[in-house]
Amino acid sequence: MLAAPLVILSMQEVVQLIHARTLAPRVLTTSAILVASLILAGCSSNPAPAPGASNDAGTPVSGGTLVYASGDAEPSCLDPHVGGNYPQALASSQYLETLYTKDEQGELIPWLASDSTVSEDGLTRTVKIREGIKFTDGTALDAQAVIANFKHLLDPATASSTGYLALGKIKDMKAADSSTLELTLSTPDNSLLESFSMPWVAIQSPEALKRTQEENCVAPVGTGPFKVESWKKQDSVNLVRNADYVRPVANPEHEGPAYLEGITWRFIPEAATRYAALQAGEVQIIDNAQPDTIAAAVKNDTIKHLDAPRPGASNRIELNSSKAPFDDQRVREAFIHAVDVNAGVESLFFNTTKRSYSPLSSVEPLGYSDESLFGFDPAKAAELLDAAGWNERDADGYRTKDGKRLSLTFPVSTSQSVPAEQSLFEQLQATAKESGFEIKINLLDLSSWYGALAEHNYNLVSAPYTKVGPSVLSILFHSASTVPAPSGYFANLSQVKNPELDTLLETAGATKDEAERKDLYAKAQKLVLEGYYLLPLYDQQNHFLYSSKTQGIGATTAVASPVFFDTWLSK
Amino acid sequence: MTPGTHTKPVRRLSRAAYWVLGKFGGGVFVLWAVATAIFFGIRMIPGDPAEAIMGGPGSQASAEALAQARADYGLDQPLVVQYFSQLLRLVTGDLGTSYSLKSPVAEVLTELVPPTITLAVLSLIVAWIIALFVAMASIRSGPVGRALASGLEIVSAAVPHFWLASVLIMLFSTSLGWFPPVSTQSATGLVLPVTTLALPLAGFLGQVMRDSMLDAHTSAFALSARARGESEGGVMLRHALRHAALPGIALSGWAFGSLLSGAVVVEAIFARPGLGRSLLSAVTARDVPMVTGVALLSAAAYVIIMAFSDLAERIADPRMRAS
Repeated sequence: MLAAPLVILSMQEVVQLIHARTLAPRVLTTSAILVASLILAGCSSNPAPAPGASNDAGTPVSGGTLVYASGDAEPSCLDPHVGGNYPQALASSQYLETLYTKDEQGELIPWLASDSTVSEDGLTRTVKIREGIKFTDGTALDAQAVIANFKHLLDPATASSTGYLALGKIKDMKAADSSTLELTLSTPDNSLLESFSMPWVAIQSPEALKRTQEENCVAPVGTGPFKVESWKKQDSVNLVRNADYVRPVANPEHEGPAYLEGITWRFIPEAATRYAALQAGEVQIIDNAQPDTIAAAVKNDTIKHLDAPRPGASNRIELNSSKAPFDDQRVREAFIHAVDVNAGVESLFFNTTKRSYSPLSSVEPLGYSDESLFGFDPAKAAELLDAAGWNERDADGYRTKDGKRLSLTFPVSTSQSVPAEQSLFEQLQATAKESGFEIKINLLDLSSWYGALAEHNYNLVSAPYTKVGPSVLSILFHSASTVPAPSGYFANLSQVKNPELDTLLETAGATKDEAERKDLYAKAQKLVLEGYYLLPLYDQQNHFLYSSKTQGIGATTAVASPVFFDTWLSK
Repeated sequence: MTPGTHTKPVRRLSRAAYWVLGKFGGGVFVLWAVATAIFFGIRMIPGDPAEAIMGGPGSQASAEALAQARADYGLDQPLVVQYFSQLLRLVTGDLGTSYSLKSPVAEVLTELVPPTITLAVLSLIVAWIIALFVAMASIRSGPVGRALASGLEIVSAAVPHFWLASVLIMLFSTSLGWFPPVSTQSATGLVLPVTTLALPLAGFLGQVMRDSMLDAHTSAFALSARARGESEGGVMLRHALRHAALPGIALSGWAFGSLLSGAVVVEAIFARPGLGRSLLSAVTARDVPMVTGVALLSAAAYVIIMAFSDLAERIADPRMRAS
């Protein structure tokens, strides 16, 4: 009976593959390129740019199907109310729309809503809903439809996480008339309109929401320029043009429906395959493009690059201040001066991103940045560590205090940290060793990584957080966020518990005065930066590569997911 | 065989029946063992199944939502109760509902089996053709040719799938543009994945085939066949090939299993729908019913194929029937 080894073998390969997906790209790009170029020497070089490919856009032509290749996991549900992650946002941006959105300048503008006002006490929010807009099933958009969506989001059975959090302060809602929605809030919330701009709070047909979750997951119904035609699981989602599409905010240059007849939304998990498919012309646009690929691709005339950093928090390493050795601010500061981030970012990211010195993404207008705090300065690190009592060295060259090694545990999620970022962490590990820090990097799959965090088994951690607006600071740094959710997760990973900061964040989130809001959020950011609770790295990366025959790409939603309303395929 | 005795056929029938029963009983045991190992194994790795149902780890699902999911899927019951009720469901053929795909596992499997079987069977055929061709060609080309062939086989047998796949994509897709790197409507999308799976397997098969072919080629019966005036080609086809096929058949059962596990890697790299790719995503998502379903199906397929390759061996080799 040899069947059992088969299953074990296949499980082993699964585990290998999970690791291989993180290690493979590096092994591959070196060894595969070597072999391929050896075999190919004298055989043929890369095909020359297609003669038809030109950079001038010309007059848009209608027709054709765009093939989009996503490197993200296939969503289990196409309705972003259910759960609520970025892959869902990417897909649903084509068929669902939001009450608010951001324009090209990054300004928040009404979309399915037409206007909004708030009462003097900040507790009543009135939202005017745009009239004359229909869902693709024929249902009209009105205040009742929006209420049905909010109820759907707040219903535990929907299991919304992202959208649920965004609507947390809504206590009561009613339709004053067919186009006026009145929301009663438990506490003032000036981030509500920003929340409304996120695809996880997109508005769907109330009739379609009455179906079972299983049915709605397969084909959600919205007002967007495309609609879901079919979904072949583990392969592709088939989107077709919404012929009756009316753009809520008119654009004189592009009236009527989308140029594309449809979009085939494919899932190609391997980065190398995705890029090969783009080069082979099997697909026209790919997401999750990796730095080395982007650097190679931009040299090629037939491929273009779209860099769309996500809003919310920057990518950063959080220093767990609730336990030794980082409960001592001097050790946190020493760590930050002991690692050479810039050298790593330059060598590993090939100029595809800029170093950040802020807790917020560079697309957040209220971001506050202070470069002076983050210099690479081993001498200063040594001084601080000596002062903090870590003044002995063990046989391996690591600093010790009372016989204990200066050791840091760093769980890294292989699905959230791309290979270049993992390599960066390894470089930080090497530079920190010079100053006597030991960093233990544990590469983990997502579930195990969350497990390690829930058990407080970390000193360093890097976790992305996408949200529109500076209110993400409250999620990440308010002491209330140190209390775990029922799932065990807590967003305040640096474990800052500072009453002064809490007050700043609460006041900043409630004020009606925009200037005051900006000032308070700046103070809050200054506080966490100067407390050395985090080491900002760069914006949350969101790179797309597309064929130069694909025109009109660049428009994105408030969370930086592309929208293909203006996109067309040139011959 | 002695004609006239009526007890013999009966005894032979019962022997065959024992053989079938033994295979069947063993198969059931294997399936039970797999179901049990998966059930307890998946609970030993971190991650709450209720969270998996609620959209994966870190979903920040509310306490009510988690409690609801636990009640809906019976996760609030003691582990032993869950284990036996799962066994009971499996016995009645109910594989449950996938946490991550939110549809019945049996339905998903029905959709995913054909592409994986196509991939595996084609790869097995291609591997056999390559292995036989190389073995036959190398036997005639003397010790140097044999050493060369053997070296090539060892290298190809040792090459990991993900590396081979990437080399093939860079060579035949990116540079030469002959085949698409991902699955397509047409059959051209199958070329690279089938080659990726077939080459390492051909290496294994070729190694064992050439050894036994060489034995047969230099054996007394080949000599006597030649003495009877049989041509070299005739000796090869009528005698050596049959001998070479024996270890090949014996290995094919194992090979099919390795193809199924290879499909995990190949389907992910070439973005093909199939059992392997869904197993990978199911494990990552802690989708217990889906993992159990795929594992049980692979185990069942393996048991059946091993039985068939046993049977094929008996047919091809009279010695096995006699003993």
